[in-house]
Order: sequence, then structure tokens, then C-alpha cells
Amino acid sequence: MDPTLLLALVRAAGLEKALAEFPDDVASAASQAMANAGAVQVPTDPRAEPWPPMRPGVGL
Amino acid sequence: MTDPHWLSASEASRAFAAKTLSPVELVRHLLKRTEALDPKLNAYIRLDAEGALDAAHSAEKEIAQGRIRGPLHGVPVGVKDIFDVATLPTTCHSKVLIDNIAKTDAVSIQKLRQAGAVIMGKLSTHEFALGGPSFDLPFPPARNPWNPDHHPGGSSSGSGAGVCAGLFPVALGSDTGGSVRNPASACGIVGHKPTYGLVSRRGVFPLSFTLDHVGPLTRTVADAALMLDAIAGHDPEDPGSAPTQARHFGRLLDRGVRGLRIGFVRHFHETDMPAHPEVTAGLEEVSRVLQAEGAEVRTVHLPSLDEFRGINRVILSSEAWSIHAPWLRERPGDYGQLCRQRLLPGAFISAGEYVGAQRRRLQLIAAVEDVLRDVDVLLCASSMDPSSRLDDEPETTRTYPRQARAPFNVTGHPALAMMAGLSSGGLPVSVQFVGRYFDDATVLRVAAAYERATPWHKKHPPIG
Repeated sequence: MDPTLLLALVRAAGLEKALAEFPDDVASAASQAMANAGAVQVPTDPRAEPWPPMRPGVGL
Repeated sequence: MTDPHWLSASEASRAFAAKTLSPVELVRHLLKRTEALDPKLNAYIRLDAEGALDAAHSAEKEIAQGRIRGPLHGVPVGVKDIFDVATLPTTCHSKVLIDNIAKTDAVSIQKLRQAGAVIMGKLSTHEFALGGPSFDLPFPPARNPWNPDHHPGGSSSGSGAGVCAGLFPVALGSDTGGSVRNPASACGIVGHKPTYGLVSRRGVFPLSFTLDHVGPLTRTVADAALMLDAIAGHDPEDPGSAPTQARHFGRLLDRGVRGLRIGFVRHFHETDMPAHPEVTAGLEEVSRVLQAEGAEVRTVHLPSLDEFRGINRVILSSEAWSIHAPWLRERPGDYGQLCRQRLLPGAFISAGEYVGAQRRRLQLIAAVEDVLRDVDVLLCASSMDPSSRLDDEPETTRTYPRQARAPFNVTGHPALAMMAGLSSGGLPVSVQFVGRYFDDATVLRVAAAYERATPWHKKHPPIG
């Protein structure tokens, strides 16, 4: 991953300390996240709803 | 008589009723066995000998007075160290929570105590049920009783190792991507992930809210049903708990499989993730046995393992990040390396990507439901390989994700893994059965029929 982009993402996530102490773990996590998210075939149908559905009043 | 440490919960219960064994005698025997074997296995993080003996004395007194609470009365139970047991630390096998003393029992522990079970102590896990096997944590990783050089599976490692080694007949574990069924597969025992929402998760440290399940690890299918009878039930304070009346999970155990339609998901282990030849052979033999017992076995197709795995990872890491973000920001060095590496990706997944995974999840659920309209139960692989050596990190890294359990965390269907043979290296191979929502009883029925027709549940590891 581009180091500038990585740094921006790390700052947004508040992981500066983790980056300073474990730079390889953080860089690898960012790449892994991209790969994992990229592997999901997100539905193209805009009406496809997520699981779980909102169930008003249940579990409260 | 069977050695006390190999008694199932059902057999121990019968022995208590017949007065051929008492709960205190059994607990003392198991404590002695633990003292001898656990230094080689590391199943326990914390043995609660005093608490166990106190509970056993109470059970013994009540049973002697004829006040028998049920089949788990006086039966020893091990508990994965992510469940709260009042007054004991819930460390999650991590430095992060090393001093975290539980104030109250988890709901499943409350229910087990109501059933008269004896809590033996807290068991080894992967760090936060995610990062392991690891050697950079406050406690060593558990080892496989079939060969202590090998991994016992995880993340409910101590639950699997302890049940397998005869340190207790039954245990509790949790399962977010397969963590009850993996140790059951590696250790050659029974692990049941109930339908999502059947067992309360309250008081169990969360890993991923929409994927977490609580389930039993046992040496027999009948014991899995007994445990489920004790711990299942609606909990209005667990938002994921289902308002179901499902009960008597062992009611179909003796019915056999004649007339049942079983869908064999061959592509999981044949093409999606080609399994070790001995695992493949074991699965073919399971299919043959079930057909010989009268079931109709037909090949069925589900979405690919890659699809399920991708969704499981995005959802798990996003939800886990939302839990661990404050600690990962402030004290990343208090995590073991593996857990840190597995938690950090969640920081880099966007809200849109998480919701996208949840949208695709619903479509995968629909695809599995479609297949389960035509068959009663699915048969498929659990682990694709016998367990790796603990000191062979590359092999553990290669084999650990080679599994077909995560699909049923994504969908929430009930799934059970059990022993289906021994490899040429003397390690268990396994099979998985999956059923319709809240039809855990039929999953247990198929497993019981397979168990009766095969010798595997009578095999014990060569550990003494």
C-alpha cells in the first residue's frame, strides 16, 4: 500500500502508536483488509438488504 | 466398569443414581488426572479445585436426598476462559484482561449450575478466541492429546484437549468461524455449534456479535444433546437471542437415518479447497455408512468456500475492531502478535464494505436455505487436514484456514463436527453435519446414527 495512504488511514483509525511499535503488523493489516473487502461480491441490486434486518422491539 | 475419566456425562449420571460412583469421587479422580496430565496438555488456564469440590459435595448431598436436578447433576464441566464465572478471572488468554475478575456468571454458566453441573475451571483459548496458537501470551497454548506436539484446534483449544484427554466429560466453547468444531475435529470428539440465537451469549466476551455462538464439546452425541438442553433458551437481555421454545434436543437420537435426505457438499473439499486424501476418504466412508443405515445421500451445491470465507473475514474483523479499537490504540503491545495481526485489519474496512458483506450474507443464507428445502441435513468437511505440529508455524498458517466451518457462522445454521477416523499419522479426521434453523435435534440424530455405526467414539488418545 502507498505509504502516504497508509499513514492517512492509520491517523483516521487512531493507530499511530501501533504503527510506531509494530509497523509491519499495521501495514500487513491494511493490505489484508483491502484483499478481504475486495473478495466480497457485493450485490448489484440496490434493493438487496443486509443481514440482520432491523427488528423493532426485539431484544430490548 | 469404565475408567471414571472416560465416563460420558450420561454414564456418570447413571453411576451417581446407582450409587456406584459419587460426584465427589469423580471430581477427585479428575483432579488427580489433571495433575498428572495437564502439564503436558495445558488445557487449563485456571483449575478451580476448591470450587469444584464444594459443588460436588453439594450435588452429592442433594442426590443422596433424592433431589436429582437432571442428567448433568454432579457432572464436571470445563469452561473456555472467555465465559464469565463469578469470582474467577476471565482473561481471554490475554495480558489485556489478565486481572479481569468476573462479578457474575455468564447465562450459560448460570444454567449449568441450575442443572447441578460442577464447574472445574477456566480453559485455554486462542487470545480473545482469535489469535493462536501463540507462544507470546501469559499462558501456553493447549496441546493435542493424540499427540502433544500437535495443535488441538482452536479457538476452544483447552475445551477440546480437556474433553479428549478425559479431564472432564463435557465443556463449553464458543464458535465465531468454527472455534467449537475445530477442536472437536482435531481432537476427535463432538462439537456442536447450535443455531444462532439458541444459546445466550450474555457474559461471554464477544468477538463478533453477528457470528458468535456458544456450544458444547463432548465425547458423545448424547452428551451434546444434554448440554444443549441445559444451556439453550431465550434470553431477553441478549439481543441476538431467539424467542424459541426448542427443547429436548436428544428426542430423535435413537431414530436412525432411514428415510432422511442428506446433501453431500462435495465441492467444498473436492474443488473449492482440495482436502488431504485421508480426509476425503473419511468423508466418502461417512457417506457410505449413512447410506448403509438407510439415508438417501445426494450431491448438492452451495456458494463457494471463498465466498463464505471473504464475508466471514470482513464481518468478523469489522465487529472485532469495534470492540478492541480502544485497546489497540492505547496498548497494542499487550496483545500477542497473532491476535494483533488478526484484529488490525478491521481498522481499515469501511462502513460501506461491512454493510456490503452483510448484504451479500443475506444472499448466501438464501442459497443455503434453498438447498435445505430439498434435503434434511448437509454432510461436508470440517477440517481439510489433520492437525499441524504446533512448532511448524508455516504448516499451521497453511492448514488453519483450510476449513468448511465458517459458512455456517455466516448463515447461523446448526452445525456439528465429529470424528470420522484416524489418519495414518494417528490424528483424528472429521466430518460436519449441518441442519435447518432450530432443527438441531435432526443434526444430532444423524450424528448419533453415525456414531452408533462406527467405532470412533470408543477410541481414546494414547495419553494414559
